[in-house]
Amino acid sequence: MNTLVRNLRVLRRMTAAEIAQQSIYRGAWIIFMAANICVPIISLLIWRTAIANGAQLPIDEQYVTTYFVLLSFVTMATSSWLTGFLANDIRLGKLSRWMVRPASLLLGFVANNLSEKFLKLFALVPMIGVLWWIFRDSMTIPAGPGRWAVFAVSLVLGAILVFTIDILIASIAFWMDDVSALAQARLIIASVLSGAVVPLALMPDWSRGFIDNQPFRFTVSFPVEIVAGNLSGYDLLVGLGLQTAYVLVFGALARLVWAAGIRAYSAVGA
Amino acid sequence: MSQRTNGTAELRTYAEDRQPLDRNWLHKQVRHLRLWRRFLGQAVVRETHYRAHFVTTLLVGLVQLGLGVVPILLLFGFTQEVHGWSRAEVITLVGAYQIVTGLIAAFIAPNLDRMTVYITEGELDGVLLRPVSSQFYLTLRWINVAELSNVMSGIVVLVLGLVQSGAAPTAPQILQALVLAACGVVLLATVWSAMSFLAFWLQSVNPIGAIYLNLVEAGRYPLAFFPVAVRTFLTFAFPVAFATTFPVQALAGDVGWTPVAGGIALSVVAVALVRMLWRRGLRSYTSASS
Repeated sequence: MNTLVRNLRVLRRMTAAEIAQQSIYRGAWIIFMAANICVPIISLLIWRTAIANGAQLPIDEQYVTTYFVLLSFVTMATSSWLTGFLANDIRLGKLSRWMVRPASLLLGFVANNLSEKFLKLFALVPMIGVLWWIFRDSMTIPAGPGRWAVFAVSLVLGAILVFTIDILIASIAFWMDDVSALAQARLIIASVLSGAVVPLALMPDWSRGFIDNQPFRFTVSFPVEIVAGNLSGYDLLVGLGLQTAYVLVFGALARLVWAAGIRAYSAVGA
Repeated sequence: MSQRTNGTAELRTYAEDRQPLDRNWLHKQVRHLRLWRRFLGQAVVRETHYRAHFVTTLLVGLVQLGLGVVPILLLFGFTQEVHGWSRAEVITLVGAYQIVTGLIAAFIAPNLDRMTVYITEGELDGVLLRPVSSQFYLTLRWINVAELSNVMSGIVVLVLGLVQSGAAPTAPQILQALVLAACGVVLLATVWSAMSFLAFWLQSVNPIGAIYLNLVEAGRYPLAFFPVAVRTFLTFAFPVAFATTFPVQALAGDVGWTPVAGGIALSVVAVALVRMLWRRGLRSYTSASS
């Protein structure tokens, strides 16, 4: 228990420091968020045109609109960018200086991630608000706080899932020199399988069994579906169960690989 | 040694009297063109040193191309046509998009990506001292040859789309499409340059590059897929329509010479404006190193 409390205290201090540091770039955050929102808006307009033009989609205009308006928020909230940084630290031996510190190596990355989310939130939420207002007639708003609470829980689980997958891929740098190609491949695959490019509900029928149960669905699509879609209580339960299971499996796997990697680690100059 | 008297002050130089570098305007353009050919030659040689980079760029480009086709294949699984565009025509358009973005990624992007460094770290100083147009040098100095592989794959997709849609463009139509696409490349390059030159006032423009790269994604779809207000934006403010929609329409024979003339006029205006912006920016440049 004592270690946990100490780690949390360290995390709080490091997050505060990161926020102070990164708020120097607040102008850049705003522009980055404006950039991030472009592609979901383009997709939104395209699919609305298709529906207006008589395309027989399995989902209606309300779903499409709510989905793409929320998409950039959820993508941001569950995102992580640590793969490149962590892989670099491993390759260049910078990990050594973290290893002598009295807290987990990964705390720095958690703090960085939290502060980045915190700052992006200020830039992104007003933009989503404006978008929401423009399309207010076609937005689905779930009744009652229950759905929103489930949404929040699944958002946190999604963020943890992405974070652990990132650690897993970065850890491969313990054995491989360059993981950037691998990281890029994962990003491209994830962008389709997570529903960031096209709502998973539009995927063809033959892929249903795979699409609905693969891990990337739970990094972006599932939280959005909770608000936008008409998931039944049963679907919600199964979804949350699967999401938790993936978090546990990837968490255990990342821990295993990370621990093995640390043992194999021999830094230049360390 | 030569001496020149200028009013009361006396200017003394120790250099030989020399001819000016360029005899006339045309000579200056030819000199810059020759210089660019050297840049290209050097880039090709450099690329041969990094063959893995070439393969990675090629593979990533192919995957991204496939990824770009996914929404279109899905969309046309639910409908036969959208606002007069069939699936084959939209695939032709994806090919055009790949060609144009490949050209920009090869010749323009490697330079504009360095704009922040040029201006905030004072590297521009070194450029200003050289006997070359500084804007030319900053916009065209670096070339990423590997990106040309994406242009090739774009051409393949374009041809596949044309064959599928049964289009048989005549020579004038192909000429129209080429001119329009060239205008599109010039227009997109000038818009991105203008955004990057804001570095003179904003210091860091890396996030602005992200805005450009995300907005240009709109070029993957025909103009007709967007609401009218957005179409105007994509034609005149962020003219991605000239890069993809208009050339593909030209290949289908749906475009007269008017848009071609409009595209050329717009390009001339855009280049003149970005030239002006560059001069304004240069005047406010206060060198970071000295």
